[in-house]
Amino acid sequence: MTRTKKLSILGLAAAAAMGLAGYAWAQGASPALTAAISAGQVGEQADGYLGIAKPVGNDVRAAVEALNIKRRAAYTDQAAKHGVALREWAATIGCQTLRSRVKTGQAYLLPDGVWRVKDASPIALPSNCG
Amino acid sequence: MLFVIEADDHERRTDWPMTGMRVILAGGALLLAGGCIQVKAPDKPIEINLNVNVKQEVVVRLQKDAQDFIADNPELFPQ
Repeated sequence: MTRTKKLSILGLAAAAAMGLAGYAWAQGASPALTAAISAGQVGEQADGYLGIAKPVGNDVRAAVEALNIKRRAAYTDQAAKHGVALREWAATIGCQTLRSRVKTGQAYLLPDGVWRVKDASPIALPSNCG
Repeated sequence: MLFVIEADDHERRTDWPMTGMRVILAGGALLLAGGCIQVKAPDKPIEINLNVNVKQEVVVRLQKDAQDFIADNPELFPQ
């Protein structure tokens, strides 16, 4: 393999990586939001939306609200497709996020209205999660 | 007579559920007492909370689709 070929492959790889990063940036949440989630300030709720567990800055608050609006739009679409109520689809999502997406150290809200921080054991899911 | 009326009052005070036998007894007591018969439908019917069960059934049915939805829309579920 010539040096030029090696370089071009490296270049392609770099471009692909940057492209992926750009895609993730365009699609993904704001860094402030992901940081707040990691810090346990923002977390998943059993109702299928994000919530604010501890005081956060206005930027994070706005990001949470914006994301919940996007979720609600997508949930509305899915609920109609499945012939169920919006809150039913949203609660089903809530069960899944609590079951598999909340990581240790992150905050989550159960229907009792109490914010908890996930430890090593699985979250005690609401009874309707099946 | 007085005793019978008291028994009826007692039932109202304690707000016990009016079982069939109680309704008959109370009716009989009222008949004996010479009053009119009042058989009221219970104010609070037996509550069977179907809400939770129906929801659980829905959740279980939708579970797989919900998993797929999250996987297909990672931008909605930052971690």
